[in-house]
Amino acid sequence: MADFSTASIKLQNLAKHFGTNKAVDDVNLIVEEGTLVCLLGPSGCGKTTSLRMVAGFEEPTAGKIFIGQDDITNVPPYVRPTAMVFQSYALFPHMSVFENIGYGLKARRTPRSEIEPQVMEVVRLMELEGHERKSPPQLSGGQQQRVALARALVIRPKVLLFDEPLSNLDALLRVRMRGEIRSIQKRLGITSLYVTHDQEEAFSIADQVAIMNKGKIIQIGPPRELYRAPVDRFVAEFVGLSNIVPVEVLSSGSDGAAVRVFDQTIRSHRPPKNPKGDVAIVLRPEALRLSIDGENGVPATVLTFAFTGPLVRYNVRTADGILLVVDLHNPGPDQFFEEGTQVRLHLPERVPALLG
Amino acid sequence: MIVENGVPQPTQMSVSRRRRTQFLVLILIELALLVLLGLKYLQVEVVEDRIEVIGNQETVYFRNELVGDPLLMAFVVVAVALPFASQKLRREPMLLIGVQLTTISLIIFVLWPLGQVFVESFRAGHDSADFSLIQFEKLLQIPTVARATRNTLVLGITTAVLATAIGTLIAYTLTLTNVPWKRWLRILTIMPLVSPPFAVSFAFILLFGRRGLITYDLLHITQRNIYGPEGIILVQLISDTPLVILILSAVFASISRDLEEAAEDLGGRPLFILRTVTFPLVTPAILTAALLTFISSISDFGNPMLMGGGFQVLATQAFIQMVELFDLQLGAALAFLLVIPALIAFAIQHWIVSRRSYITVTSGARTGYIRALPGWIKWPLFGLTVFMAVITILLYGSIFVGAFVKAWGFDFTFTTGNLAGLVSALPQLENSLIVSVGSGFLGGAVGIFIAWLVSRQRFPGRRGLDFAATVMYAIPGTVIGIGYILAFNAAPYFWTGTFSIIIVAYAFRRLPVGLRTGIAAQQQIDPSLEEASLDLGATRARTFARITFPLLNRAFFAGVIYIFIRSMTDLSAAVFLNAGRTQLYTVRMFRVMITGTPSEAAAFAGLLIVIILIALGTLSKLTGKSFVDLFRVS
Repeated sequence: MADFSTASIKLQNLAKHFGTNKAVDDVNLIVEEGTLVCLLGPSGCGKTTSLRMVAGFEEPTAGKIFIGQDDITNVPPYVRPTAMVFQSYALFPHMSVFENIGYGLKARRTPRSEIEPQVMEVVRLMELEGHERKSPPQLSGGQQQRVALARALVIRPKVLLFDEPLSNLDALLRVRMRGEIRSIQKRLGITSLYVTHDQEEAFSIADQVAIMNKGKIIQIGPPRELYRAPVDRFVAEFVGLSNIVPVEVLSSGSDGAAVRVFDQTIRSHRPPKNPKGDVAIVLRPEALRLSIDGENGVPATVLTFAFTGPLVRYNVRTADGILLVVDLHNPGPDQFFEEGTQVRLHLPERVPALLG
Repeated sequence: MIVENGVPQPTQMSVSRRRRTQFLVLILIELALLVLLGLKYLQVEVVEDRIEVIGNQETVYFRNELVGDPLLMAFVVVAVALPFASQKLRREPMLLIGVQLTTISLIIFVLWPLGQVFVESFRAGHDSADFSLIQFEKLLQIPTVARATRNTLVLGITTAVLATAIGTLIAYTLTLTNVPWKRWLRILTIMPLVSPPFAVSFAFILLFGRRGLITYDLLHITQRNIYGPEGIILVQLISDTPLVILILSAVFASISRDLEEAAEDLGGRPLFILRTVTFPLVTPAILTAALLTFISSISDFGNPMLMGGGFQVLATQAFIQMVELFDLQLGAALAFLLVIPALIAFAIQHWIVSRRSYITVTSGARTGYIRALPGWIKWPLFGLTVFMAVITILLYGSIFVGAFVKAWGFDFTFTTGNLAGLVSALPQLENSLIVSVGSGFLGGAVGIFIAWLVSRQRFPGRRGLDFAATVMYAIPGTVIGIGYILAFNAAPYFWTGTFSIIIVAYAFRRLPVGLRTGIAAQQQIDPSLEEASLDLGATRARTFARITFPLLNRAFFAGVIYIFIRSMTDLSAAVFLNAGRTQLYTVRMFRVMITGTPSEAAAFAGLLIVIILIALGTLSKLTGKSFVDLFRVS
């Protein structure tokens, strides 16, 4: 599948209102050619509606959609150069695997003699050899997923759309399939827009992640940036587990800020937007450490703990009654603290950003 | 008492011992019942065997003969004994009795009467026990029979194809497009279901007959008339299309939106998607609808009688042979001719449906959204739907107007005089109500119970049970009427001429509907609800009565009302099964249509429609379902 031509996606002031409900509210987004962008957010945040507008199943209330240079806002779905992988796979139950994959070619009136080699090419690409004559219900969940992707790829779309494609699979298969999707996407270099509500899935598969809430894109960036420097409380809480603790601002300038929390001073690379208002710090559980003795550190009590193998997750309470989650990875034998143990909590000296 | 490791375990022991005693008592009671049944229905009689004449001395030899139906008795014994083979059923006596009772009733009331049609048609005469083809030879000598067979097939196929095509298009229009007035069109297009099929014929004659309002009074056509095959096809189309609309509407509404969107996303244009995705997905429903309309057409008795104008079909021939000439064997042979095409159609439908998978593999799919179709597809569909609705309004309008005019076609002055004739029909109305309410509740209850058995319980023979309970839907009403007469007319039953035989016949004839409704409803209910009840110590019977049934009661009442309506409007089986004392309203009404004045007959038809509408309205209130949803029982 060498001769793949792909193109960027551009959403310009895109909006979709259902009555008074603004499902998608003035969204701007560019998916660069060959990259995979994830729309991540809780259910009802507008991510699926945005994707369906790109596919052409919903008409935007306002705004424009471009694929490459072409404005496709008013083009019907069957003319758009998009191909979607559905959450339900939407495999036609009355057709064989072969007929399912060849469907888009038939719809485009591809000559019969050309359909077979093209279908077989994606069958090999998706490692579905030997299953061509089966009917979809005879396949396993992972195989159905591959057929759905093969069916989308065979029409050589300029853009691939994924609508929570892995949510019907069990946990192990989900991890494997997302690896496969990513490697094929990279190999073909095809521009992709991917919708999910699973943060881990989004982070592991995407070049850029756009966090959505209430119809708006809150923050967009590479996964690392979102995790290290969330712009607000919503992103901080949605992306990973966070301890969000209010702080007192000591100093704030363009090169960073210093804040006071638990009688300790912590520096931030990025100053708060409004140093006079309520400012909070995001302390990731894995950035905190516990020790049993020593003078420095914040005194705290272990309330409960859970051992999950690679890490131990502690719930601790500081002397001023604030509850925190602390993850200790690869704990050594001297690093287990029973419930009720008095411990010392060690904070990081620097954090990337502050909220507020 | 078992002593294990020196610890006595009294409770364990007493439970299992009590169960064993219960089990033995059950077996003894069942054996006693079987013996009683045998004594009642099987008798050894001394019959004349042969007379030998030697010289002028006659010697009469006698022999002992088992009278009754030893074969049926043997089947019943097998039905009682077989369930004991299952370990699971032995463990639960209530379940065991349930399976036994269902099996016995299906054998007696479904398989046995149908079997009689086959047996009797290969018998030389009433007393003969030998195999013979003489009945079919006799049939061939009646010139009308060969023609009637051909007519029946042509009629059945034409009606099935046209009604299915029109009904499918209307169902699509009303379910998936954004045409206006859908609410009213939906009610109007399925209206013909509330009247007997032959009322359509009658109304048709009122409008388009020799003195029809439209043909004679408006257009002054006197040269041509509507009697004959084309007329029958037209009225059968009008009376059978609603069933197609109901079946297809439910299926169209359940198509996953994702599938059509996927097709569109992959480049399929609207018509291409209709052809390659939408219609293939509803193929099983289309075939079922075609089968049902085919069977409805070939068993139709009233329309050919009223509209035929000498056009003979098998159903009318069978009536003449059985009821007017009382030749049971010849009637059976005619029924046999009817059941063959029905079974072939059944087999074809089954074969096509089972060849491919139509099960949607997805879960939680979004269904039933409105397609924005281009105008050149949408408006012709809308036109077709409105046309059917207008015809319905005309037909039913003419019945109600006709009931209140002095003499239709001659004198259109208002009168209530026609209602007087209805008073004399009150006994028949009462008979019909007794029969229809009885069969409704019996069929509904048996249907729900079998639905629960086959969808929730695993036991050997489950599929056989399902088949026996379903087969009736492929059997023309005519054949069922004849089968019941053949099976239960003679000694030792003498069952014909009673209300109960009609109730049972109707209940088991419409059982498949109650069963399918029940199974569909059953699948909506989480099995763990029943398991929770059992786990908390409730018995099977209590669980069914307190948990399962209350959750299923909508399905139950839907089944009851459907069977009620079908029983109130039936004529095909009624003409065979009713007798003087049990004459049914439809039969009386049919006679009035042939012998009385059009206005008298219109009053009869109008009253029946009003009664059915009241029944539907009551049920609509009772279940909180809309009028149209009440019919959703496919």
